[in-house]
Amino acid sequence: MPQPDATAELTQSLSERILVLDGAMGTTIRTYGLEEGDARGERFARNDKDLLNNGDILSLTKPDVIGDIHRRFYQAGSDICETNTFSATSIAQSEFFVEDPREKGGRKDPEFFQKIIENPFLNDLAWEMNVESSKLCRKMADDIGTDTGVKRYVAGAIGPLTVSLTNSPDANDPAFRVVTFDQVLEAYKHQVRALIEGGCDILMIETIFDSLNAKAAAVATQEVFDELRLRLPIIISAAVGRGGETMISAQKVEALWNAFAHVKPLAIGLNCSLGPDLMRPFLEELSDCAATHISAYPNAGLPNPLAPTGFDLEPPHMKDFMGDFASAGLLNLAGGCCGNTPEHVAAIAQGVRGKAPRKVPAVG
Amino acid sequence: MKSIPHALRLSGTEAYNHTSDKRFLMIGERTNVAGSPRFAKLVRAGELEAAVDVARQQVENGANVIDICFDDGLIDGKEMMTHFLQLLQGEPDIAKVPIMVDSSKWEILEAGLKCLQGKGIVNSISLKEGEEVFKEHARHIMKYGAAVVVMAFDEKGQAATYEEKIRICERAYRILIDEVGFNADDIIFDPNILTVATGIEEHNNYALDFINATKWIKENLPGAKVSGGVSNISFSFRGNNVVREAMHSAFLYHAGRAGMDMGIVNAGMLEVYDEIPKNLLDAVEDVLLNRRDDATERLLELAEEFKGQGGKKLEEDLSWRDDSVEKRLEHALLKGIDKFIDEDTEEALAKYGRPLKVIEGPLMDGMGVVGDLFGAGKMFLPQVVKSARVMKKAVAWLEPHMEAEKAANPGRKSAGRFLIATVKGDVHDIGKNIVGVVLACNGFEVTDMGVMVPCDKILDAAVEIGADVIGLSGLITPSLDEMVHVAKEMEKRGMKQPLLVGGATTSAAHTAIKIAEHYSGPVVHVLDASRSVPVTTSLLSEEQRDKFVSDNLAKQKTLRDNFLGGPKKETLTLSEARAAGPKFDWASYQPPVPSFTGARVFDMQDLRTLVEYIDWTPFFHAWELRGVWDRENKMLKTKNEEGASEAAKLYQEALAWIDRIIAENRFQARGTYGFFPANADGDDLIVWSDDARTAERCRLHTLRQQVKKDSGKPNVALADWTAPGKQEDYVGGFVVGIHGADELAAELDKAHDPYGSIMVKAIADRFAEAFAEFLHHKARVEWGYETEDELTQQQLIHENYRGIRPAPGYPAQPDHTEKPILFDLLGASDATGVTLTESCAMHPGAAVCGLMFSHPDSHYFAISELQKDQIEDYAARKGMSVSEAETWLGPWLGYVSA
Repeated sequence: MPQPDATAELTQSLSERILVLDGAMGTTIRTYGLEEGDARGERFARNDKDLLNNGDILSLTKPDVIGDIHRRFYQAGSDICETNTFSATSIAQSEFFVEDPREKGGRKDPEFFQKIIENPFLNDLAWEMNVESSKLCRKMADDIGTDTGVKRYVAGAIGPLTVSLTNSPDANDPAFRVVTFDQVLEAYKHQVRALIEGGCDILMIETIFDSLNAKAAAVATQEVFDELRLRLPIIISAAVGRGGETMISAQKVEALWNAFAHVKPLAIGLNCSLGPDLMRPFLEELSDCAATHISAYPNAGLPNPLAPTGFDLEPPHMKDFMGDFASAGLLNLAGGCCGNTPEHVAAIAQGVRGKAPRKVPAVG
Repeated sequence: MKSIPHALRLSGTEAYNHTSDKRFLMIGERTNVAGSPRFAKLVRAGELEAAVDVARQQVENGANVIDICFDDGLIDGKEMMTHFLQLLQGEPDIAKVPIMVDSSKWEILEAGLKCLQGKGIVNSISLKEGEEVFKEHARHIMKYGAAVVVMAFDEKGQAATYEEKIRICERAYRILIDEVGFNADDIIFDPNILTVATGIEEHNNYALDFINATKWIKENLPGAKVSGGVSNISFSFRGNNVVREAMHSAFLYHAGRAGMDMGIVNAGMLEVYDEIPKNLLDAVEDVLLNRRDDATERLLELAEEFKGQGGKKLEEDLSWRDDSVEKRLEHALLKGIDKFIDEDTEEALAKYGRPLKVIEGPLMDGMGVVGDLFGAGKMFLPQVVKSARVMKKAVAWLEPHMEAEKAANPGRKSAGRFLIATVKGDVHDIGKNIVGVVLACNGFEVTDMGVMVPCDKILDAAVEIGADVIGLSGLITPSLDEMVHVAKEMEKRGMKQPLLVGGATTSAAHTAIKIAEHYSGPVVHVLDASRSVPVTTSLLSEEQRDKFVSDNLAKQKTLRDNFLGGPKKETLTLSEARAAGPKFDWASYQPPVPSFTGARVFDMQDLRTLVEYIDWTPFFHAWELRGVWDRENKMLKTKNEEGASEAAKLYQEALAWIDRIIAENRFQARGTYGFFPANADGDDLIVWSDDARTAERCRLHTLRQQVKKDSGKPNVALADWTAPGKQEDYVGGFVVGIHGADELAAELDKAHDPYGSIMVKAIADRFAEAFAEFLHHKARVEWGYETEDELTQQQLIHENYRGIRPAPGYPAQPDHTEKPILFDLLGASDATGVTLTESCAMHPGAAVCGLMFSHPDSHYFAISELQKDQIEDYAARKGMSVSEAETWLGPWLGYVSA
């Protein structure tokens, strides 16, 4: 069921306080100790490729776990949780269900991906993943919202894909792309329709490595809105490296804001790739130029394969960092990406509680 | 509240905001087939690399936006727009600017929009085909988030006069704002710059019509910008560049004053307004401003004088061509310029003699610089890939020579086969692809098996193709286990190939601790794509392999030792640990009494004296040369002969640097040390303000080992080595700093001498340590238990003496917040100029501080596995919160803090 446009009430809440996002789905899933058989369930028992790391499929084969994770994040204080749909597109799912042509000396190219975006099994699977994931998150949002009297929101996660529109994998052919803009657009449109059908309040184009992929996702939202005659708030969130550029397409944050201001996002921000300390200068840059709300959900520091979460920072560290961001007037929405468990999010919520949200600059 | 000014805000990979303080937005027009016959010719001939260079030149010449147009009967415009923009995406120095997609065909504009990651400009749409089409196009452009150029054109045709121009522009503006919802800041009008001085009377006012229409638009249509194709104005004077350039400049001058924001103009075809000869300027302005009826005739007459003169020439900045061949190759690699790579490679071959020497020398050095910048976040993937392409060209040029060499020396293996795959369970592809591209560019034969590849398939394929190196990639945590599995399988199969490990969650530590132990072949962690080349090259080079492999093993051993050294040992409670502390018979021990108390200052310590105290071993470690320095024979004791000879060279260079530093008085060594009456109070040290030991001056705090020791050795704390109660005993302290190194290093950096910069910093560090050693030596003599020349320099360096000088922040007392107490005690900041930052780091960096203990049993030790009971006790003693103490001591905690 499509939800009404919550832009006005969210804008109101965001003027009053810093809203809390959730933490890392993947990190938290791993704490449940699931095994390959759990991920496959009966339904995918005979799939050729392993599915354990296809986190999105757990919405279908282990819905209790995913629901439980949403519940824990909302209970930890998340106002907004993201659906378990980071890779729920035909293109991303193809990695788990279609033989990689490179195994037999072939290559991935637009011809290959045309078959992928027309593949009925993948399209139906992607549709089901998005709808069911949205419903799982919706139910927890509504239940906990009712229990606590604080309204909770569901953000449909739209991830970056495993292909790039700005980068050629072929050294001898720099203009070659494995996939076309129209193919990416088509896959995203299908996802957007399903997220709306499943009851998302917000659409979140996140972990942007490649701004042209994200551009396709943004166009997809606008086209589906026109088609369905509705609007939903959009959040844009990029993953930048140590130099402050999107990881694959090397776009700086102000350039990103200029490129996405036209969708009038509810918020623009940064997530993943960096811990809070390294993210800060780029968040400041973005906060200086963006005439909308700012969101930040950094990783829990840098990857540390020897730490239990796989990342450096513990909940109190995240609390301090995000509290500092808030005190510096940089934040409207705060959460955590890789390495952040519900305990981290509870700490983040504590860190930003009572701190004034950043005031959105007026244009003029 | 903060506000953000209205502006046309555009972007490529970088933002370009046309704010009110910017005068004129320069649009590069040479990449427009309609405006540039040369560009058209290149594109038609399929010489796209040269066509891309045209775009680059526009950016280098200062274009803020580049106009791309393929409206030409012989070019498939839609196909070429996509192809060309995709090529530009891979050119970081071009991709940074916003793109203006220029076509009269809608389908070409649409194709262009799909290639812009930033916010570009669509040029153009108009009311030519009626309002409905106009609105549809505008909505589409808005959806893609581009600005738009609207031509002053309607169903009836092109607006030529002032009245037509303002009528059509106002109508278009109202539709865009009121019906489409377009952002006014993103609307750019092109009210048509038409050719003047044609001899047709109606054309005489065209320039003025444009200028006046511009003024009206800027005053009446808020937010809207005005642009135009400037070269049209001078079309009558084709072939006379002097006149044309003057006309362009004068026109821009007047239109700019009326509010024109931007123009399509060849930046190289502009004279500076003030430099136009007076008579020419008058004649040109008469024409443009329609000041006299005979203006055209007069200008035509005058134009004869300037015919045939060239006008300004465009020049690339080629000053880098004057550098040495090594620097040129580095520049070409850094900037991704392949224009001169063949000739430079040829020159390098002549100089170095063998193709491999060129690759392993200047080319790999250049790639090393690229790798370092990439690692430091100062270069980005697309740039690295471009660098790799240039590298490839250089290698390609060398190939025939290598073939020839191979023919002469059969049995020599040339390229290596590299098999790369993302491991089972992981779908991450892009980073791995980049590694593949970079390696392929460097002449390796790369087999990319894709993602989610099971172990057996990888290893079977490796055997099948005869892979020389196997690379595993993974981004998610579970991939780490899969990599361990692959390593074990390789061992089982008795494989020997090097195994490379990379990807976001991998780390050098994990590779060393969890993967390397399962495989007897080399296992190397590769930090990023750029490093895959030097690593693979080293592994496959007969000359470099052994050193590389042993260095790698040594590094991994250190990582393992560091990891295994600490964790999960049995621990004692604080009271148990205290009970297990050393027991001294203080009554029968007479602590030495120093010859003075209080602090002494060494304001201008002579550096020559300190040279003798330098411990060179760490200096070589800083340069990644392992071994132990033998002072007597002045050589590095190492199994690696090459390393030893490198070290000997380095040592000579360091001595030369030291001579220069001393001769030019570049470093100032300032230090202080002193003795203070002190006694242990539990794990604290009371420092008394008087010899009678009645008033506490301050307290130093120490930490006790809590690891359970089976050896029967005591659990020590630094406080143990000072007498308790009020028995006469003393503690010493010192602070030393070497000033001037940062400044000298900065100078060298500026002079592009990073080597010298590293050298002086490394030397400054050695001087600081030497100064500390020198003061400690002095202190022991003053303390009375050692005589001046009792010990040899070798013994001094090996610390074969009584007493220790532990530094706060180091293993015996890892808490840096003890430094301010020590600094206060010595008045060290005033005495030495060494200051402490917020995080208690010393500035300048080449500085050392510490306490000094005289007890014969005192020795260096390490604190680890601190337990919560001690942290609580310690925090209470120091008057800090437990969480504060946990923060400062984080890495030494033996428990997980809340």
